[in-house]
Amino acid sequence: MTRYLLKRIFYMILTLFIVATITFFLMKLMPGSPYANEAKMTPTQLEIMNKQYGLNKPIWEQYLIYIGGMLHGDFGTSFQYSNQPVSSLISARLGVSVQLGLQALIFGVVVGVFVGAIAAMKQGTWADSTATVFAIIGKSVPNFVLAVILQYYIGLKLGWFPIAGWGSFSQTILPTLALSVGPLAETARFIRTSMVDTLSSDYIELGKAKGLSRTEVIRKHAMRNSMIPLVTLIGPYAVALMTGSMVIENIFNIPGIGEQFVKSILTNDYPTIMGVTMVYCVGLVVILLITDIIYGLIDPRIRLTEKEA
Amino acid sequence: MKFKKVLTAGAVVLTSAAALAACGSNNSSSGGSKKSINWEESAEIPTMDISKATDATSFNQLGNVTEGIYRLGKNNKVENALATSTKVSKDGKTWTFTLRDSKWSNGDKLTAKDFVYSWRRTVNPKTASQYAYLFEGIHNATKISAGKAPVNSLGVKAEGNNKLVVTLDKRIPYFKLLMGFPLFNPQNEKVVEKYGSKYGTASKYMVYNGPFVQKGWTGSNLSWKLQKNPNYWDKKAVKLDTINYSVQKTPSTAYNLYQSNKIDAVMLDSQQTKNLKNQSGYTLRNTAATFYLQYNQKKKLFQNANFRRAISMSINRKALGNALGGSNTPADSLTSKGVVNYNGKDWSSIVGSKEYSLYNPKEAQKLYKKALQETGIKNPSFSILSDDTDAGQKTTETLQSQLEENLKGLKVSVSNVPFKTRLSRSTSGNFDVVVSGWSADFADPISFVDLFTSKNSNNNGKWSNAQYDKLIADSKVTADTTKRYDDLEKSEKILLQDQGITPLYYKTEAWLVRPDIKGIVYNGAGLNYNFKNAYVSGN
Amino acid sequence: MNEEDLKLSPDAFEPLTKDEREDSEKIAGPSLSFGQNVWIRFKQRKAAVISAIIIILMMVIAFGSTPFINNSTLVKSHPQYANLPPKIPGFGAINGLNGKLKQNGQWVDAYAQNNVPKDKYFIAGTDYLGRPLGQRIIYGTKISLIVALVAAFFDLTIGVLYGVISGWKGGGVDNVMQRIIEIISSVPNLIIAVLMLVVLKPGITSIIIAIAISSWTTMARQVRAETLSLKNEEYVLAARSLGESSSKIAWKHLIPNLSSIIIIQTMYTIPSAIFFEAFLSFIGIGISAPQTSLGVLLNEGQKNFQFLPYQMWIPAIVLCILMIAFNLLGDGLRDAFDPRGQR
Repeated sequence: MTRYLLKRIFYMILTLFIVATITFFLMKLMPGSPYANEAKMTPTQLEIMNKQYGLNKPIWEQYLIYIGGMLHGDFGTSFQYSNQPVSSLISARLGVSVQLGLQALIFGVVVGVFVGAIAAMKQGTWADSTATVFAIIGKSVPNFVLAVILQYYIGLKLGWFPIAGWGSFSQTILPTLALSVGPLAETARFIRTSMVDTLSSDYIELGKAKGLSRTEVIRKHAMRNSMIPLVTLIGPYAVALMTGSMVIENIFNIPGIGEQFVKSILTNDYPTIMGVTMVYCVGLVVILLITDIIYGLIDPRIRLTEKEA
Repeated sequence: MKFKKVLTAGAVVLTSAAALAACGSNNSSSGGSKKSINWEESAEIPTMDISKATDATSFNQLGNVTEGIYRLGKNNKVENALATSTKVSKDGKTWTFTLRDSKWSNGDKLTAKDFVYSWRRTVNPKTASQYAYLFEGIHNATKISAGKAPVNSLGVKAEGNNKLVVTLDKRIPYFKLLMGFPLFNPQNEKVVEKYGSKYGTASKYMVYNGPFVQKGWTGSNLSWKLQKNPNYWDKKAVKLDTINYSVQKTPSTAYNLYQSNKIDAVMLDSQQTKNLKNQSGYTLRNTAATFYLQYNQKKKLFQNANFRRAISMSINRKALGNALGGSNTPADSLTSKGVVNYNGKDWSSIVGSKEYSLYNPKEAQKLYKKALQETGIKNPSFSILSDDTDAGQKTTETLQSQLEENLKGLKVSVSNVPFKTRLSRSTSGNFDVVVSGWSADFADPISFVDLFTSKNSNNNGKWSNAQYDKLIADSKVTADTTKRYDDLEKSEKILLQDQGITPLYYKTEAWLVRPDIKGIVYNGAGLNYNFKNAYVSGN
Repeated sequence: MNEEDLKLSPDAFEPLTKDEREDSEKIAGPSLSFGQNVWIRFKQRKAAVISAIIIILMMVIAFGSTPFINNSTLVKSHPQYANLPPKIPGFGAINGLNGKLKQNGQWVDAYAQNNVPKDKYFIAGTDYLGRPLGQRIIYGTKISLIVALVAAFFDLTIGVLYGVISGWKGGGVDNVMQRIIEIISSVPNLIIAVLMLVVLKPGITSIIIAIAISSWTTMARQVRAETLSLKNEEYVLAARSLGESSSKIAWKHLIPNLSSIIIIQTMYTIPSAIFFEAFLSFIGIGISAPQTSLGVLLNEGQKNFQFLPYQMWIPAIVLCILMIAFNLLGDGLRDAFDPRGQR
């Protein structure tokens, strides 16, 4: 296990290194300069400014400096906020996005598992159909549309939850709901399908034949086996939540990293774009590693194969 | 039975969340003492360092938390702030300001030296201030920014604690207006040195001398507040205790917040403008900005003046204004409306003429055919470049639609890119037609017409006219005000006659501001919002 | 009943005639291929069949409209008809479909307000330039369908193939292939899209390339995981030990067993591709004018939701119908391919 882990971590670092390299050079291809007012600056000023940002050096040297800095957690200085290190911009906002993402993920998966399980157990009844239709609609509506609807009807018309902002727990409810609908619907459908499969398999029949109660069968056999494939979905969920958070954070005025990312794209703030990209990558790679480990833990067949590798 | 247990646990979490939410919404209502207002800002603050600020958000903050020689009052009227009296030499090149005794928010005494320090810091090429060009005309400023003269040779010096003497290389007709712009406000050397590179990157790394002090801005967050400054020299005139700021990027969210009394002012998008025109609190803000088309003069098609005129005449500016929002008015001049009042008339109506904003598809078609003959181009096509903002996209889409419909055979494509990409593509001449906007730094026509002199770096299309250049140069040296305005008038008329640029609209923002908030001073040019005397009326 | 009570004697049993004996062993139905089986099972699922019809209908309308709705129709504006709500002949009594719009809590006839001729009808209303929304929705559906189909195509080709090979081969091959996937999927697809829009021109091509680069990784990952567990199944082992070729095993045993995961995943790709496109237009870098897509229309609509709700609802409903149809079709296909999960 330790050897496997070490190996995985080595690959992770390799991945991140490659991603950093690719993004770095791609950013260099992008047009536009960090300056809002380049036209009005004297050559001397430009020269000094380029020096401050390290833009006067040859690209390969800039690259080495960038990679070197990154090892110390230094992503350079933001172009849009003067003198703000990218790392502090990110750290100020990362927590918010992580909280929002986790809330949405947990809420979505937990509720999704229940909805899916109920649908599978009550197969063919109205509960099943309702859950299915609900799940499909949940998947069909883009979350920014949903966010707007929630904000208008629940936030403004009914006044149940705050319309926007960040700070109190109540302010997190609408964005969490809007963000969690995707994973929720996805999970519900996945669990339903997977449980219907499982419920018709031999060992479930055996369990029933042994005289186990229905709940016992479901708890001991069906649930566990149905949930295994769900783990593989967590990676894609994480990606979807990251993308989703950019939109949701924008609509709900949430000072998160997604909102920061969109802003930095729109202002050509390359150091921030690269920094946030790297943070996303690290997050994603770690999540993938964790899901693989979990997968191995709950499904012994996988562990064997991984050791072969 | 675990299944059920978890289910109930989930339900408990949900209900408690709802309960929490209920508490939350109860105590966040904005009742109580009405000495605070909740304002919206459309973007984050990039910096609070006077020497590094480039954008409206930063300058709006700085204008309310720092104080300079003058403060802009209603209708661009310059009012004494730290200055108690001003003396100008006969040739207009030496200005002597007498300053009152005042303090920084940390208790330090504010002296004329703080001005000298601040100005030197801004023009110092090491600071790389992107706004240093506004110092042009102050003795040696341009040379210093170019690294060709020592910083301490700048034409500003302190005589004792209360006298500031400024020497100019040439007369600057709008110098007083400049002195009301936050860029020229003082900075506290001790504080700047103390915080080093952190200076101006958060509320706590700043020192203030304006009507308010800033609290709670951490560098990139979306909400902060301004609080009354107890050390302000004129604190009696300041009536608000707090201004709560929040950044609003989604117009519908902002309007929802306004409707639920969470914010007191909201900028409206196009549809909101149309529907809320008759609401109380509907306020128009003339931003002193003009949007116009620049043509790349390197391309044969755009060298043809008839072609440019044909484009201008195929644009239905009223429909464009409606698409963008009910409040933008069709532009028939470069200099925006409400910038300068000259001889009782608005400058834009002096230089502008209805013919420059006329929608005349028939005439346009004629000119277009003529232009095609003259240039020998058979299948004309070009691309319009603009921002990727909502307004930018609507502008290009509307123009594309109008041009293709009115000029038969013309193919127009659109290209919407991020603001800074648009800027750098404009500067490097990588475009056919670009939608540009210019907002006056100070309320004088020169702020606009200077843009299109042959060598100006904002003249992206490289339109060039010798007579125009000469008139502008003349206007800068003459001591005669009437002649100066004559020159400026003639020059702008040349530009418009030749359609060197095609004016589209004057940008006017539509806002809903709670009607009981009074005393806010808004100016399109220079410092936009002055909250010094703002108050909430009793009822 | 006790056995003794029956009092059975050998006489009670008669041997079967030869014909009868063979009858009981005979397989009555014709021998069906895998494909025929799938088709029969699919036909039994009414919802799936209806969905398939809806999807085909939408495709026919969307793609069939090409001669009628193209750049030059899309570019035409009628400022005098801007932002009119839906008005359908014969629906005069139903608010929302009769040209009336709620303003300050009251239903106002927007057509009369804007002096629109009496006989002018816009079934789905108009947008801010007075262009018929119905026209734009049909065009938008076409673009969104193209994006979806392209994504599904890459999923089914690159994604499935990659996953099966990676899972089946295992060892070093798998390792390298997984690292490549990790790298691709560690770069947010937004970044890829943004770069494409810089290198190429903004528009459908860049979006398609961005999707081609990034969309199939999830499919590949899932197929691989499933292949890993499938290849240890008894029947696969049996086939292997019987000397079946790898490709035959893949086709005969793996694909049918993978089909449920493949179909679910494809059905997940389609909405996410449409969402991805919608998301790009939300941050302002999607399809460029005068072209449009459901995403662009939805984004436009959500901005004016409070005042012109129809501009969001109509494209949203179209998208929902499309999505529901795809999902039900997916369900039907899955059940048809993988009878184990049949209800």
